[in-house]
Amino acid sequence: MEILGIFRNCESAAKAVDDLVRAGFTENQVDSLTSVPYPDGVLVRTEVSSRFRWIALAGGLSGAVAGFALAAGTAWLYPVQTGDKPIITLYPTAIICFEVAMLFAIIGTMVGMFLDMGLPALGKRLYDPAIAEGCIGISLTIRVGGEVVHCPTETESGECIGAIAALSAAEQKKRAEEIMQAAGVLRVIEEELS
Amino acid sequence: MSDPPGTTKSVSQTNDELLSSLRPPTLAWYLLAFFLGAVVACGLAAFTWQMMNGMYVTGKNRPVMWGFYITGFVFWVGLSHSGTMVSSILRLSRANWRRPILRAAEAMTVFCITVAGLFPLIHLGRNWTFFYMIPYPNQRGLWPNFRSPLLWDMTAITSYIIGSSLFLYLGMLPDLAIARDRSTGWRHKMYTFLAMGWRGSAREWSVYHKASTLMAALIIPVAVSVHSIVAWDFAVTVVPGWHSTIFPPYFVIGAILSGVAAVITLMIIIRKIFHLEEYLTPLHFDNMGKLLLVISLLWTYAYFVEVQITWYAHEPIEWEVFSYLSSRYTPQLLIMLVGNSLLPIIFLCFRKMRRSIGVMLLLSLWVNVAMFIERFLIIVPTLSHKNMPFAWGSYSPSLVEILVNLAALAGFALLFTLFAKFFPIMAISDVRELEVREAKVPMGRTRLPSIAGKE
Repeated sequence: MEILGIFRNCESAAKAVDDLVRAGFTENQVDSLTSVPYPDGVLVRTEVSSRFRWIALAGGLSGAVAGFALAAGTAWLYPVQTGDKPIITLYPTAIICFEVAMLFAIIGTMVGMFLDMGLPALGKRLYDPAIAEGCIGISLTIRVGGEVVHCPTETESGECIGAIAALSAAEQKKRAEEIMQAAGVLRVIEEELS
Repeated sequence: MSDPPGTTKSVSQTNDELLSSLRPPTLAWYLLAFFLGAVVACGLAAFTWQMMNGMYVTGKNRPVMWGFYITGFVFWVGLSHSGTMVSSILRLSRANWRRPILRAAEAMTVFCITVAGLFPLIHLGRNWTFFYMIPYPNQRGLWPNFRSPLLWDMTAITSYIIGSSLFLYLGMLPDLAIARDRSTGWRHKMYTFLAMGWRGSAREWSVYHKASTLMAALIIPVAVSVHSIVAWDFAVTVVPGWHSTIFPPYFVIGAILSGVAAVITLMIIIRKIFHLEEYLTPLHFDNMGKLLLVISLLWTYAYFVEVQITWYAHEPIEWEVFSYLSSRYTPQLLIMLVGNSLLPIIFLCFRKMRRSIGVMLLLSLWVNVAMFIERFLIIVPTLSHKNMPFAWGSYSPSLVEILVNLAALAGFALLFTLFAKFFPIMAISDVRELEVREAKVPMGRTRLPSIAGKE
């Protein structure tokens, strides 16, 4: 379950994030929605482990193989001997290998990027068009069922985990709304409780 | 709304200005689109005439079998070179002044390479057999011959069209989301589809930045390879004047020169039409002018090396080609040297000239006229006198070839005009990101601009 608070400016949004974390929600439950990128830590902290580079590398390698198959493999399928020239020639094969490898690496980067971002988003997600006009969205994912979550390093686990995670989703939502209201939220958009 | 402290303009106002090109088309826009469409139609009619009657309607004949079409091909590939290159290099070097330039440069690349890719097909003669280049076996089990430079071109151009289109799309992703949030009707549906559900979460931005950097690093070697391969079309032949090791770098430098000039021309047109004087400032022209100056110096050096070695060696066949070029095409040679070398070097040394929009417009246009002539001079004089004297010949383009080339220019302009009407022509999030990062913060008794973020 997710709730989204819309803030007028960066300062009030940052205050809400601070207060949410102080209340026991963890950094990885809080996300910011903005129309321009902010440096890490201005609003939230992201520790993104991205896989797209590996996908790009895999794309590049498979492209090189495909290019080799295209230039050298097809020459072998129907070998035409011309004088004493080799059937597989290094220069054209290298050119085709390079081009196809780069093409596949580029496509791999795009595919990997979208996979890492979780896009295209198939379901409906909380959003507000005011974000495009400079408002800041602070999204909180509420975890139910007393799920054990990690505390930020500067807080002691006993102070935060039990207090929030043990609450029901409705109570967590109410608590988060209060915190956002105190920070000066313009409006709060919620997902329906299932 | 969240306006960066110290700025006088709201985010909505900035968005309005940067998205001004998306406003409903005016009568002037329709007239322009109609005019460009009419020129394209003329070119299509000329091409149809050529298909129905054969290649004799062109000015090509033995020994000059490459004429205006291949000139156009090399010219447009060259133009396509710089958009993505400039954008990628400036992205990787984190030059902040790049931001308002990116989109026009990237879009220019996509449309130039699309136009360029049509020329080899037009030049084929029996155009309807173009699918012979597609890699699948024919009924005798024969595959396309990848030892042919034509297939290298085909592969490289395909890679570059797809790569530069994805690069353009990647850069537009956050802006498509902004356009989605500010549009209605069919436009809203289109932007919603293209934005793929982008919300601008911290994770999305983080991955986006890393992917943009990788993409920029990947697209540069592709761009260099494409024009090197076009140069190899010439250099791997045993033809005097072409069989030269300097050809690939010389072509790449020439391509960047014409491409940078074209980006400047487009910047000036966009600035004027969409009233973006506040975003495309003299600083941008100053910096692009410096870039053009450096590339012009490099081109001059490369051309000097090419000619000087021919002159010093005085190898009879090569010297014959060069003598023919300089005597038969003297005015064209002078226009080329003045436009690509003399004028840029003289004018662009001065800051005042680089910041003068009128001077930059004239200079950038001349560079590209000169560059088209340069492509012509590489191809036609060489083919005219490459053999023994009894097989010498000459070439003049026919009306059909001229019309097809004009249609290519109009087609490029039409594609760009349509793009500017349907997609954000300025990189909104990039421009606004800089505003946020340069926002003034209190320090002591005053407010100073801060630049936040990794450098």
